[in-house]
Amino acid sequence: MSTTAATRPVGVDIQESETNRSVVEAIEATNDGCTVQHMPGLVRITAPGRLVITRESVEERLGREWETHEFQLAIVSYFGHIKEWDDDEIVIAWDH
Amino acid sequence: MTIAPKAPRKLTMKQRYEALTRDLDWDPSYVAREDVFPHTEFEGIRIHDWSKWEDPFRLTVDAYTKYQAEKDKRLYAVLDGFAQSQGHLSLTEASYLNAMKLFLQGVTPLEYQAHRNFAYLARHLNGPGPRFAALCQSIDEMRHTQTEIHTLSNYNKYYGGFHNYLEQHDRVWYLSVPKSFFDDALSAGPFEFLIAIGFSFEYLLTNLLFVPFMSGASFNGDLPTMTFGFSAQSDESRHMTLGLEAIKFLLEQDEANVPIVQAWIDKWFWRGYRVTGLVAQMLDYMLPRKVMSWKEAFELYFEEQMMKGLFEDLAFYGITPPRHVEDAIGEKEILSHQVYWVLYQFSHAAAFTTSVPDEEHQQWLAETYPDTFERYYKPLWDKERKNIEAGGRHFVRGLPQLCQVCQIPMAFTEPGDPTTICQRESVHKGETFQTCSNGCQWIFEREPEKYVQAWLPVHQIYQGNCGGPTLPDVLQWYGLEDGDGGEYKGSLDDRNWTQWHDAADHSHIGSEA
Amino acid sequence: MAVKSIGTYDFPSRSRQELYGDDQLVHLWFQENPWFCAAACFRAPKAMTWGDFWTALVVPYAEEDPDFDPASPRVWTLHGEQFSPRDDQTLEELGIGHKDVIGMRVVA
Ligand SMILES: [Fe+2]
Ligand SMILES: [Fe+2]
Ligand SMILES: [Zn+2]
Repeated sequence: MSTTAATRPVGVDIQESETNRSVVEAIEATNDGCTVQHMPGLVRITAPGRLVITRESVEERLGREWETHEFQLAIVSYFGHIKEWDDDEIVIAWDH
Repeated sequence: MTIAPKAPRKLTMKQRYEALTRDLDWDPSYVAREDVFPHTEFEGIRIHDWSKWEDPFRLTVDAYTKYQAEKDKRLYAVLDGFAQSQGHLSLTEASYLNAMKLFLQGVTPLEYQAHRNFAYLARHLNGPGPRFAALCQSIDEMRHTQTEIHTLSNYNKYYGGFHNYLEQHDRVWYLSVPKSFFDDALSAGPFEFLIAIGFSFEYLLTNLLFVPFMSGASFNGDLPTMTFGFSAQSDESRHMTLGLEAIKFLLEQDEANVPIVQAWIDKWFWRGYRVTGLVAQMLDYMLPRKVMSWKEAFELYFEEQMMKGLFEDLAFYGITPPRHVEDAIGEKEILSHQVYWVLYQFSHAAAFTTSVPDEEHQQWLAETYPDTFERYYKPLWDKERKNIEAGGRHFVRGLPQLCQVCQIPMAFTEPGDPTTICQRESVHKGETFQTCSNGCQWIFEREPEKYVQAWLPVHQIYQGNCGGPTLPDVLQWYGLEDGDGGEYKGSLDDRNWTQWHDAADHSHIGSEA
Repeated sequence: MAVKSIGTYDFPSRSRQELYGDDQLVHLWFQENPWFCAAACFRAPKAMTWGDFWTALVVPYAEEDPDFDPASPRVWTLHGEQFSPRDDQTLEELGIGHKDVIGMRVVA
């Protein structure tokens, strides 16, 4: 294999909106080395190997409670594998 | 002493999911398991432990309905605003709507078919986890059908091509391409369907299929479509997950499943890829304001993310990239041109219009496709321009040869040679069948008994099953009306558009239609 | 490989010759001419002569190409081999069967 699961990029496309700006900022703050790209109506965030969205960091920026289920209103598409989605965090990463 | 009942502790997402999904499952006691789930063995897939199927979304009915209702509320607020503000006048051009006509005729009915088949999976899969995920997807797909119809009905008040999409999906030649693709999946077993639609369509090709439409909408002033698109796509991330979980689950359950799954990936990649030809021409030819070329979309969404991402991951299980993927990659600079050339010369029998790309458009095509456009396709448009000046407009006066598998007119060329049409022939029980490519031929020869039943529009017309022997008979049977198809320039949409934009008083708008 | 199914799986072809009576489908492939995006498909009586096939079916279709010249010399191909049809031969006599593809190339 030419790449490993640890470095192969994963990513998520998020709808561009007022609420989602905080979500995007939270993702940027949580994931070192991530890249943010603006496309028509969309924000695409990619990161090597792993992308994490934490409830805490979103709530901090949003100034209100935010349950991880709410991420369903933001996400348009992703690539990688959703490894974890619980009350506190969502993790996108490849398995192998 | 009595003990006061403890205040109910809030369950975590995991616990709630376990309680409300898996704990509602039971083992049948007085009927055999095979009688309850009679469809999960004949495909040869071996499952040892259904509880190993994970649904990372951990959705429960209350969470599902809460967020879906919110999505709908947001969408309908946009639709209302659009209708109230005569939003259709702020499109880049009326010709943009050709992309949406194709979407409503070709894709929306597939959403409904997906709804049906996921409802079937929600009944027939043995595990409660996948059953519940399939149930949610089934409801999602119904929502997509409805929101797409509602959204695009706004345009039906003013423009041609939208009024008879359901019947047309069952009848019109180019719509037999997406229809037969989905029928192929619907008539397979539950596991093949999961790989066909859940995995290949919803994960492997979803971004190529949907994101171009939505980004095109965003760039061309079509706010409602962009909104329904993103709203539907937000469900799509769950569908992608179901598809990926499905394939991983099958591969992990038994090594004997690997070759079966591989063959399905090989088949369904090519089946789906052929349908994306319609998206390719939409991106490169139908959008007045370009978003990205087919080539760029293909490189990003398929070569980068799927070939270099997904298939590296699946290599762990012994899965290799789809058979014939090299042919698809080899076509990325010619596909859209070939498909649009087909639609251009048959649009007199379609519910959308086409036109010669103008100077600026051809310039863009030449820059975007430096190795192919000027060499192979520009000469055709030059010839057509002269043809039009001489009073002609190229509409074919007859019917084309169709591929027995993908049902697209046989316009595709030999791998590596864009000037020679690829003709593949197979004989089954003494009868000759043609296919358009190595991919379609391989699919035909794997299951000829299935594809000999293809309802090929051209053959059906010749058998007298499509309204009558003449072109007007067939067009009437298609439910086509004046203003639906043909050339865009001078069409009803074009004339109305110009008039609406020139008029100082807009109060009459819509009364023409 | 056979279709995997829950029951017997045996259905007739939806385009078998008998559905066309005394006629059959014939494909005509305009080789080296991209003006026609795909080969044409005609329904023609098996007993139709090549001359009639040419004038009644092929020419009206091919005239849609402004560069079409019915008098140009042509090379014909059937079943992978060149053949030289005579106007009085029927499609059947020429060995043209149901759904066959006839290659047609204008000699430059
Ligand atoms: Fe959908
Ligand atoms: Fe879906
Ligand atoms: Zn094909």
